[in-house]
Amino acid sequence: MTSVNPQPINSASDISYEMVCHFLYREARLLDQRKFTEWDNLFAEQGMYWIPLIEDQPDPINHLSLAYEDSMMRQVRINRLNHNRAWSQKPRSRTSHMVSAIVIEKICDETNRLVVGSAFQMAEWRSFGLRTFAGLYTHTLVVSDGHLKIGEKRVDLIDSGEAFEPIEVFI
Amino acid sequence: MDIDRLIKKDEVHRDVYVSEEVFGLEMDRIFGSAWIYVGHDSQIPNPGDYWTTRIGLQSVVMTRGKRDEINIFYNRCPHKGARIAEEGCGHTNGLFRCPFSTFNLDGKLRGVPYLDGYQDTSFDLTDPRFSLRKVARVAAYRGFVFASLAEDGAEFEDFLAGVKSSLDNFCDRAPEGTVSVAGGVFRVVQRSNWKIFFENLNDTGHPIATHESSYRAARQYSEEVLDGELPFELHIIDGNGAPPKFWSDLDLHAFDYGHSYMTAIFNAPDDPLSQQYFASLAAKVGGDRAEEILAVNRHNTIIYPSCSPHTSFQQWRVIRPLSVDRTLVEIFTFRLDGAPDELLQRTFTYSNVVNSPSSIVMTDDVHVYAECQKGLSTQGGDWVSQHRNAGQDQPYSGSEGGLIGVGTSELPIRNQFRAWHEYMSEGSGQSVSPEAS
Ligand SMILES: [Fe+2]
Repeated sequence: MTSVNPQPINSASDISYEMVCHFLYREARLLDQRKFTEWDNLFAEQGMYWIPLIEDQPDPINHLSLAYEDSMMRQVRINRLNHNRAWSQKPRSRTSHMVSAIVIEKICDETNRLVVGSAFQMAEWRSFGLRTFAGLYTHTLVVSDGHLKIGEKRVDLIDSGEAFEPIEVFI
Repeated sequence: MDIDRLIKKDEVHRDVYVSEEVFGLEMDRIFGSAWIYVGHDSQIPNPGDYWTTRIGLQSVVMTRGKRDEINIFYNRCPHKGARIAEEGCGHTNGLFRCPFSTFNLDGKLRGVPYLDGYQDTSFDLTDPRFSLRKVARVAAYRGFVFASLAEDGAEFEDFLAGVKSSLDNFCDRAPEGTVSVAGGVFRVVQRSNWKIFFENLNDTGHPIATHESSYRAARQYSEEVLDGELPFELHIIDGNGAPPKFWSDLDLHAFDYGHSYMTAIFNAPDDPLSQQYFASLAAKVGGDRAEEILAVNRHNTIIYPSCSPHTSFQQWRVIRPLSVDRTLVEIFTFRLDGAPDELLQRTFTYSNVVNSPSSIVMTDDVHVYAECQKGLSTQGGDWVSQHRNAGQDQPYSGSEGGLIGVGTSELPIRNQFRAWHEYMSEGSGQSVSPEAS
């Protein structure tokens, strides 16, 4: 996949709105193509994937979360999705993400971080039919070794308190 | 309906899972009479707090009144019929309000608009007929509140007897001796009959096959990245791949009314956090007593037909039938009052891995339940086997009584159906005893 800017990124202020949009679209596309390991490589070493259980949840440690996964737990999830005895992945999930309303909310040059908000919908087809997830993403992006990486991907589902059927793929 | 024809000693007819008629009778005869878990008193700490949930198909509201008493009402305005409270937790300042009327916390009708217009009618604010209707019986043990919709039936103490020790251990593990709901509720919908979930809870025959994808995934990561080390999260997932002898060496205990428990599959951890927690417990109850409490190490306990506590990780699953082929499972986590905050954080970690709707472990269970529901709906066979180790269960000589079987026995399932049979047999009025075989 070609990068929008071949130049190494030195600081958060080098990053254009277009680069941010492209990063988010690419991230979503990797998920829809089931290129999970490439997707996981977008995360910084300490990067976290977080789906809070309640609206405005302040932290992932002192409350349950629908998901709060570090590199280890993401890779285990990926290993499972690729395992041929993942019964509930027969047939396997197919997804389509729509990411929109992308806004750079904060740029911090000292920490080389950006906070990016967006809206999303993900349609997922499984053995029991088609279902939709909708909500807001908040990406904390970090500049690391000249690359943009995900420090945290927060997925606020608008129905996070609902009763769900199992959620297996990344949203 | 002839209930007897659905049950054999070690088999059940598929109709118990797929017949709408049977489901209707269950709502009436089981969920309409048994002691059903409603909630924990820490969910409604102050007067005016309420918790709205279900008993069978009935929406009910558990409230704390002005004098600290707990009431459970049907969620129905006796005046015009609207519900008085949304599902979940809430608080009201001394009055329940529906769009048509207001009620005091004790359920008495407080007022309706245009009261003048009710003069010379049979409408009467003080008539209990126009107060919120209370469920027939409410009882609590160590903060866990149960209700029965029937005036008559087993006493709560008798009902709970066999598994009371699990509730004691659940609370005794707290330095303060009490526990509180914390961290929110996971809610998972299953496309299967409620009994299938109960059968799975203490079924040690399934993990090695059902959970192969998740324990292999955890082991793969452990080997590729961690040199075979298994951090807490992976240890939990890995456990399902234990060899057959591990499972058969466990004990299963079964009691009256369909209850049972399994001895623990995880040893008490001995890391710095566990030692810190032990110290907090020992400081309150003494070292010997603390050791005695933690020596009671159990996996799932089943309090049939509504809930399943996990005493050593402070989880509490509640099973709510929605229809013959839909079941809602709600998972609560508890703080051990007086224990370090980090222990509660570990409880959340455990639950995120095992009980969240996004659990990579549970998803295969839920899939298999749905496959059973689909298969049972075919005409491919009428009977479902529960033969494993039938006839080998023994009376247990310990103080709790009941029956004991090897860890891979289907004793808990047969035991649930003995209770089911009793509840479903009209006017039986007999005690629900598991027969030693
Ligand atoms: Fe399981």
